[in-house]
Amino acid sequence: MTAAGTEGAAGDVVAAAPDPDEAQRAIEYCYEQGWSDGLPLVPVSKPLLDAFLATTDKDPEEIIGSLEQVGRDVNVYLAAINAAMAGCKPEYFPVVLAAFEALMGERAARGGGFQSTSGPSPLIVVNGPVRKELGFNTAGGAFGPGFRPNATIPRAIGLLVRNGFGIHPHVLEQATQGLPGRWQVCIAENEEESPWEPFAENGGVAGGVSAVSATLTRTMEFVDNRHTPNHEDVLRDLQDTIGRIGSLIFPLTSVALVLCPEHAQMFAAAGMSKADVQNWLIERSGRTGAEFKSMGKAEVARKGFRGEYEGDDAFHQVLAGPTSIPVIVAGAKNAAISMVVRIFGEWSGTAVPVGEKK
Amino acid sequence: MPNAILDPTGTVTTSAAKQAAPRALRPASLQGKRVGLLINTKTNARPFLEEVGRLLEEKYDVSLTRRTKVNFAVPEPEDVIKELTAEADVVITGVGDCGSCSAAAAADGVVLEAAGVPVAAIITESFIPTADAMAALRGAPGYKYATTAHPVAVLTEDKVKERAARVLDDVVALLVEAPGTVDEA
Repeated sequence: MTAAGTEGAAGDVVAAAPDPDEAQRAIEYCYEQGWSDGLPLVPVSKPLLDAFLATTDKDPEEIIGSLEQVGRDVNVYLAAINAAMAGCKPEYFPVVLAAFEALMGERAARGGGFQSTSGPSPLIVVNGPVRKELGFNTAGGAFGPGFRPNATIPRAIGLLVRNGFGIHPHVLEQATQGLPGRWQVCIAENEEESPWEPFAENGGVAGGVSAVSATLTRTMEFVDNRHTPNHEDVLRDLQDTIGRIGSLIFPLTSVALVLCPEHAQMFAAAGMSKADVQNWLIERSGRTGAEFKSMGKAEVARKGFRGEYEGDDAFHQVLAGPTSIPVIVAGAKNAAISMVVRIFGEWSGTAVPVGEKK
Repeated sequence: MPNAILDPTGTVTTSAAKQAAPRALRPASLQGKRVGLLINTKTNARPFLEEVGRLLEEKYDVSLTRRTKVNFAVPEPEDVIKELTAEADVVITGVGDCGSCSAAAAADGVVLEAAGVPVAAIITESFIPTADAMAALRGAPGYKYATTAHPVAVLTEDKVKERAARVLDDVVALLVEAPGTVDEA
């Protein structure tokens, strides 16, 4: 009764409606195995797995990530099952593979990132034609939710860490509080309204080519400034947030600046390139030694790691250079709201091209 | 026959997956032994281990060597393990007070034990589950280590010394053969 078609009034064979009771049993089965991040999973069968594997030239056995400390490797086969479970469509799989490669290329992720008390979340950035081809959200609500590729691709990475690497909360994963949206952050750059080159181009992949970049983040803080026509006022507002002492634990930090189109266009109209915005903020983002000291963090205001305290009056810069402040443009051009994304460790910014099936 | 639901979990595939990692033979006493301090760079780890070392010098006339972990979050590379085995009779490591470094302390412990060096890893009580999970993953379920209360990083110098003194007996007990027991190997 469930599998066969039923006869319509005109005698046509129409597909039977899926059996919800069977679907629920399959979903519960996945929960019982301990595979879920808390939300329902898509139970994966061999035909679905094959559809994923068919989107890539990679061998299912190819190892695409290793975590030496937990003694586990992840291969294409496991990535495909977890991506399917996360709710990805098969055609998203090359993006999942590129995102995982980009993330595992970062030292912070290969080190203790997934086990950390910081509970960091991947930030995945997608550039190029694949954004439109797969239906990524490139406009309003860039950080989600509401769009299948943006929502399911980072979830696939989260499930891969849980099931592939075996890093479970309260056991090998020791997040103190974690952050909202962990395993949910995948933004597609608003290249159409950005006044600058695509982000992936800064990471080594030419504009017009689909590519993914990824890092770990500790949180994101909004800067809402729709109050001034003066671009330097807005930069000062960003600088204030970047230098916030609560987010600083080492002498140097990294942030990703996710600018809304309105702010980005304002800076560009003032003649600023991405590099100009970066340099303006690098020079000015930080606090005085006294401010650090008053919060018990004098050791953070040192010249580099294990360096000397710079003194009460000395202004302590927290960004080392352009790689400490990558600039991305995302969101709708409907309000002047940008985001300072706190990077966990450092971000090389390397972009990984989305593999095409030959 | 419906399709099976596929399993998304990996298995331990690399050399970390040792079966039943052996525990090193213990000396009867620490008297005159060479003690290696493997300091993991976390705040207060150095003064904590230095104080443990100083107390052992006083009590057992041990000699100390010191090493800083290459990366607190991951187990030491093979060459460092080799050097440690050559230069120390027993090793004390810590302080595991975070998600990755507590697991790494347990992993270093298991690896060094298998290489024949008794280890006392010191972790804070908050990270018992992660240290246990890592030890089990490395083929040493039930691996024993010493614990101290959490946190350690915010303690003053005096309090660090107090803590070191308090954990000393547990550290010694981990490193020597209990009287009347037979070698396990």
